[in-house]
Amino acid sequence: MGFLSKASKSMRQSNYLSLLRNFNFNPYINRITHQCSSVTSALFCSQSRQSSTREKSTIDLSEYPPELVRNFSIIAHVDHGKSTLADRLLELTGTIKKGHGQPQYLDKLQVERERGITVKAQTATMFYKHRKSGNDCDDEKELPNFLLNLIDTPGHVDFSYEVSRSLAACQGVLLVVDAAQGVQAQTVANFYLAFESNLTIVPVINKIDQPTADPDRVKAQLKSMFDLDPSDALLTSAKTGVGLEQVLPAVIERIPPPPGRSNSPLRMLLLDSYYDEYKGVICHVAVVDGVLYKGGKISFAATGQSYEALDIGIMHPELTPTGVLLTGQVGYVVSGMRSTKDARVGDTIYHTRSIVEPLPGFKPAKHMVFSGLYPADGSDFEALNHAIERLTCNDASVSITKETSTALGLGFRCGFLGLLHMDVFHQRLEQEYGAHVISTVPTVPYIFEYSDGSKLEVQNPASLPSNPKQRVMACWEPTVIATIIIPSEYMGPVITLVSERRGQQLEYSFIDSQRAFMKYRLPLREIVVDFYNVLKSITSGYASFDYEDSDYQQADLVKLDILLNGQPVDAMATIVHNMKAYRVGRELAEKLKKVIDRQMFEITIQAAIGSKIIARETISAMRKNVLAKCYGGDVTRKRKLLEKQKEGKKRMKRVGSVDIPQEAFNELLKNS
Amino acid sequence: MLKSTFTPILWALTPKPKYPKHPPHAVTNTSTAHVRHNASVTTPPLPSSAYVHLPFCRKRCHYCDFPILALGSFSPHDDDPRVSNYVHFLCREITATKVSPNPNAPLQTVFFGGGTPSLVPPRLVSLVLDTLRIKFGVSQDAEISMEMDPGTFDADKMREMVLLGVNRVSLGVQAFQEKLLKACGRAHGLREVHEAISVVKSCGVENWSVDLIASLPHQTEDMWEESLRLTIQAQPTHVSVYDLQIEQGTKFGRLYTPGEFPLPSEVQSADFYKMASRMLCDANYNHYEISSYSKSGYECKHNSTYWKNMPFYGFGLGSASFVGGVRFSRPKKLNEYMNYVQNLENGLVNGSVSADDRTHAKDMAMDVVMLSLRTATGLDLKHFQETFGRSIVLSLLKAYKPYVESGHVVGLDEERKTIRIDDLSNSLLDKANTKGRLAYIRLSDPEGFLLSNELIAIAFGVIDSWEDRPPYKEIA
Ligand SMILES: Nc1nc2c(ncn2[C@@H]2O[C@H](COP(=O)(O)OP(=O)(O)O)[C@@H](O)[C@H]2O)c(=O)[nH]1
Ligand SMILES: [Mg+2]
Repeated sequence: MGFLSKASKSMRQSNYLSLLRNFNFNPYINRITHQCSSVTSALFCSQSRQSSTREKSTIDLSEYPPELVRNFSIIAHVDHGKSTLADRLLELTGTIKKGHGQPQYLDKLQVERERGITVKAQTATMFYKHRKSGNDCDDEKELPNFLLNLIDTPGHVDFSYEVSRSLAACQGVLLVVDAAQGVQAQTVANFYLAFESNLTIVPVINKIDQPTADPDRVKAQLKSMFDLDPSDALLTSAKTGVGLEQVLPAVIERIPPPPGRSNSPLRMLLLDSYYDEYKGVICHVAVVDGVLYKGGKISFAATGQSYEALDIGIMHPELTPTGVLLTGQVGYVVSGMRSTKDARVGDTIYHTRSIVEPLPGFKPAKHMVFSGLYPADGSDFEALNHAIERLTCNDASVSITKETSTALGLGFRCGFLGLLHMDVFHQRLEQEYGAHVISTVPTVPYIFEYSDGSKLEVQNPASLPSNPKQRVMACWEPTVIATIIIPSEYMGPVITLVSERRGQQLEYSFIDSQRAFMKYRLPLREIVVDFYNVLKSITSGYASFDYEDSDYQQADLVKLDILLNGQPVDAMATIVHNMKAYRVGRELAEKLKKVIDRQMFEITIQAAIGSKIIARETISAMRKNVLAKCYGGDVTRKRKLLEKQKEGKKRMKRVGSVDIPQEAFNELLKNS
Repeated sequence: MLKSTFTPILWALTPKPKYPKHPPHAVTNTSTAHVRHNASVTTPPLPSSAYVHLPFCRKRCHYCDFPILALGSFSPHDDDPRVSNYVHFLCREITATKVSPNPNAPLQTVFFGGGTPSLVPPRLVSLVLDTLRIKFGVSQDAEISMEMDPGTFDADKMREMVLLGVNRVSLGVQAFQEKLLKACGRAHGLREVHEAISVVKSCGVENWSVDLIASLPHQTEDMWEESLRLTIQAQPTHVSVYDLQIEQGTKFGRLYTPGEFPLPSEVQSADFYKMASRMLCDANYNHYEISSYSKSGYECKHNSTYWKNMPFYGFGLGSASFVGGVRFSRPKKLNEYMNYVQNLENGLVNGSVSADDRTHAKDMAMDVVMLSLRTATGLDLKHFQETFGRSIVLSLLKAYKPYVESGHVVGLDEERKTIRIDDLSNSLLDKANTKGRLAYIRLSDPEGFLLSNELIAIAFGVIDSWEDRPPYKEIA
């Protein structure tokens, strides 16, 4: 996984398409095209040639009945060593050559670096010889060879649905915990995901080489929080290699083989998909029941579409054709599909015309955060459209609809799985496609219920009528269950923060003498913009935070309009809790006063709920802007000055007669 | 007069060249092909104005970022080599300037600017004027202006200058407060100001201007009022009111931030401007350009060539010229300027026409708008439409509509009567009825003038997004 994920990360990060053109997962193509255009692909090519010659003739999947297969994931809080451990396991099994991988931090997206998460899951197959204890009837010399599938999971709750899908293909997990930091918020969240899926949990206490490592304390935490037996914990250092030899044996010994039925009709779980310029969509699949041969006709339950399995194989770690995938195995399928939109994670794939019960759990992506995306420089809608189209090819989980704003022009309303997902999307748009975008303040899907019984789901606050004809009977907002783990001395400020954000305490306890564990229900809206940053800053960076979607709750919500010279600015409308409306309105008006320059007319900035003005600021008219200097005939100099001024105006967005600098929109994003 | 202003556009309508622009002094002799091409289309009008830069000053004023050469506190003698050397280069430049084979119309205006031209010995000024006369001819009734600073000339010198032909004086008074003069780093005091005024008057210079600077550090409203009052009392025929601009690299630039103490606030500064407009207009001066006031008939003819976008020569360090549709600024460093003159003589540079630098139609439209809107006359829509087409006029009017409503922009008919807002859009369409039909737009005084940068930038935006190709005039 390490290698594969690194290669694909770097690909995503820099110029995705140009790299794709030069570098391919298919080892055969690689052998023909030797021109590697970058260091990344050069490294990759040499690696891929080696492995393809080494393995190609030797892999016969029929040698691996389910008893010899293990499917597992590594789950961990950020930075506890998941990627490093995965790299070590791949090296240990000879799947990748030691030192051939690149340092992970080099090829991460900026957002991945900032938040230390894996955005896209990867999977790799390894082979490992091991004598299973108590199974000594086998030939002494011929140790059985096991096929191990390491199924990576995205490291963030936004993708928890994908995490649980990935986990659905596993029978066990390595729960990695940093020996010095102990249990953190994502450790808790991930543990429960695995626990609820009935997976075998192998605790791994990593980084025991650190001077501050305290494995016994971590063991105690695992016991008290998760009831994990301290004697089951493996102690490792992915850095020095200590204890790594116990890991795969533990995987084989403790984790059960996949339970599928070889002689039932084919059912495969779609784990992930990505788009390859040459081959089209490549699907990662886990074969739950039955067998798939190359050339087989397959259908996708969610879309009903049928395809031919043109090429199938395993990720070892790059695509290695095998011609067959058997029960319990994990691999890839190329079927000529053109868009990842048709490959929905969690979908069931089966033989066309066979009748099967779809695997449980498929649900369409749930969009919890919405924001408007507009080209920053007015006219460039087509360029943005193009960039978005290309990006959604590889991230079908974003919902995109066109919308128009009087302030910002033509743009898109985008729905994301969560905040991080949104950030990742924005950053990739800017980094990979060079698109300059203005993003409106993110919002969450509210539900408004009117007196005539009709309900309106609001993904864009501007679309909510400011003065509705029907009376609003009730409003509903999505909530999350947040887990916060902090050193106990920070409890005071954190409790203050959470209650400011309308949090409702569900649970709190102490993990040990130093750490507190708190569970809150929070309106999603309240953590959408800057919650995590504030939390980190008030806890000197020590807080760990995670959340999962929860139910809608009723709330007293109002639409807050921002008016400039009496004209509402649609892109600045927000929905806020009634109690906070005055404060937010005042803050917004003040902030706008700071970022909007004086103009030829007086500008009034108003915040309003319906027709009630709750805050007002004015920017007095510009009094003087004239060049009354003796420049003689030096017209050029005057010209340059005025042209600069003109360029400034051009970049502004206009509402009525008021010019709004783009920064104003970004400024609003920072805190609301 | 205005008609000829727009003639250059006829041959300047070619699309902007794709290749990079070369500064003319880096270009070897222009191709004959180009000259032929030029001749085959039309000949741009020849300049009848010349700006001559005499960069010497006693010392640099604290606000000044002009190319000047500080001489120190003594008055230069006829043989100060720094001055005579420069003037000789200047004359060589004039002589080496290429002129068209057509007989030259004599110059109608000459403007000695600086620096402090009054520091230059009359003998050297005479040399320059003679060189101009030989090269271009100088009309008998030409306006010959000179910027003069108090303390740099006495009655004798003034008389000598008058004998040489100088008939207009622009007196750099700047302020009537000793404290302010000192704070600006001026090389003269208040006594010299009063002396200079009486010298100018006693020498029979009929056409003279007082130059003032508003918004100086520590300047109060009372001080400004006093300066204006004393100016009016002195009865010049012309007053220039400049506004202090804080330029990077000047002493003021290091010391002060615009709008912050000790500089007046934006509101105060606007009030200064309005006070000048009101007091000078009350004293029968016409506010004919953003920073210029004159008694009727005493507008500065030389400066008017600038506002009318007409061509002019420029000679000397850092000076700008506009010849053959090309704007060109000479080097601002003395040694570079001298090299330039040498190259000019050797035919290595051509300070005037170069195909690469030809002004693009949009650029030309921007210049016309920028310059004409600085004046009380305003933009002549008829000519503008003839040259650049109707659509741009309509877009401009549309963009200006809110500012007509707010009183910053005024529409005028052929007889310069203000047109009511409601009639504005219709009036342009009314072909038959010239009376009451929109013919000019101008910025109002003082509100429109005060925000001229904003308003002109808006017009630039209109021109910038103007997609229609201007109607190309067939001249066959
Ligand atoms: N000292 C020490 N550092 C480790 C160990 N394992 C990983 N690291 C470091 O911890 C950081 C985070 O590791 P990474 O594998 O990216 O964590 P992930 O976020 O869980 O994937 C990296 O700087 C690793 O080099 C270990 O066993 N000991
Ligand atoms: Mg990682």
